[in-house]
Amino acid sequence: MSSLSSVYLELTQERHLKLFADPLRSEGVMLIERPEQIRWEMTAPYQSILLANHKSVAQFERTDGEWKKLRLGFPQLLKRVMEQMVRMHQGKLDALTSDYTISVATGAVAVVTLVPKDDTVRSMLSSLEVRMLPDFTATREVVMNEPGGDLTRILFRRERRGVKFPPGTFDQTKPLDIAAIKAAVDDGR
Amino acid sequence: MGAEGIATRRRPLLLTGAGGRLSVCGCWLLTGVLAAGCATAPPPAGAPRARGSFPGDGLLTQRAVLTARGRQFALNGYLALSTAGGKRLIVTQSLGQVLADVLVKPDGSVQVVRASRMLRPEWIRRYLAADLECIFGNAPGTEGPLRMLSPTHFLIERRWYTLDLQIVETKPGPQASELFDATSKATP
Repeated sequence: MSSLSSVYLELTQERHLKLFADPLRSEGVMLIERPEQIRWEMTAPYQSILLANHKSVAQFERTDGEWKKLRLGFPQLLKRVMEQMVRMHQGKLDALTSDYTISVATGAVAVVTLVPKDDTVRSMLSSLEVRMLPDFTATREVVMNEPGGDLTRILFRRERRGVKFPPGTFDQTKPLDIAAIKAAVDDGR
Repeated sequence: MGAEGIATRRRPLLLTGAGGRLSVCGCWLLTGVLAAGCATAPPPAGAPRARGSFPGDGLLTQRAVLTARGRQFALNGYLALSTAGGKRLIVTQSLGQVLADVLVKPDGSVQVVRASRMLRPEWIRRYLAADLECIFGNAPGTEGPLRMLSPTHFLIERRWYTLDLQIVETKPGPQASELFDATSKATP
């Protein structure tokens, strides 16, 4: 899995709050290109782009039909989260052992459970469950459990591996529109 | 908390350390900037008001960008509205963590249901609830520095911060009564 050069995934993020009977859903995409380029984009019901590489991170919000780049408050923290997302998806669990206690359960679905070592982090995030195919070749679902019982579930689908992303996909100044990226990915099938 | 209170809390924002410390700074920032209340600045001249633009009963999904001291933070909000029960607002970070959960009853009383390291109960009670009333309240004189840029786009501009809020999804309809009873099982 870690040998993948690039991957395109569509996703549904479900926010499960005990307060609401139904989960609060949002849709998006995640694009990863080696070595550590990532684009996390929400497309509905709001539009937001997070871009990160080994050097920097950027966030854009769509307002009144225009993309606006945010002057991020805590770029190092966001960059670290994005790096961890890449490592989890690439199966680089050894790179996460300094921050998490990791256990693995195998079966019809392989479940990698990561428990934050830091008390402060654990007070907000009790565990992360990464559900993968039995042979660990692909991530299907990530569940972020909170101490109070609320959770966020991210369901991945339409995975495309080894895709060639068009120029501008990971541009932190003017990222290429997702429609153009999807068209390029579809053309490359 | 007035301007003096905010000024005394500005120094921690300058910290830029590891993730944990950054979170602590974030806590301060979010709470400090919200501490300006709803009536610290006059509304811009000629600014249209938001009143009456929302269903009496429904669930609104919000996306907001908070700007403070040149830095910006994206937040999500989930607001349940009930004519009989009041307003229940949950504020989360982009990836999900709940920062605040507050219930404002029709009589204006405020109940903090859940707080976080980033938003302490007293700050939610005094300031987040006030901002909620700025945009979604009905009581006269609570508009504060609010501008309605479109029927779903609002801007609160204060001395210490700006909140740019968009309503990205509206689901009209009655909401569960448990949402407006902070003692019910639905409450964490």
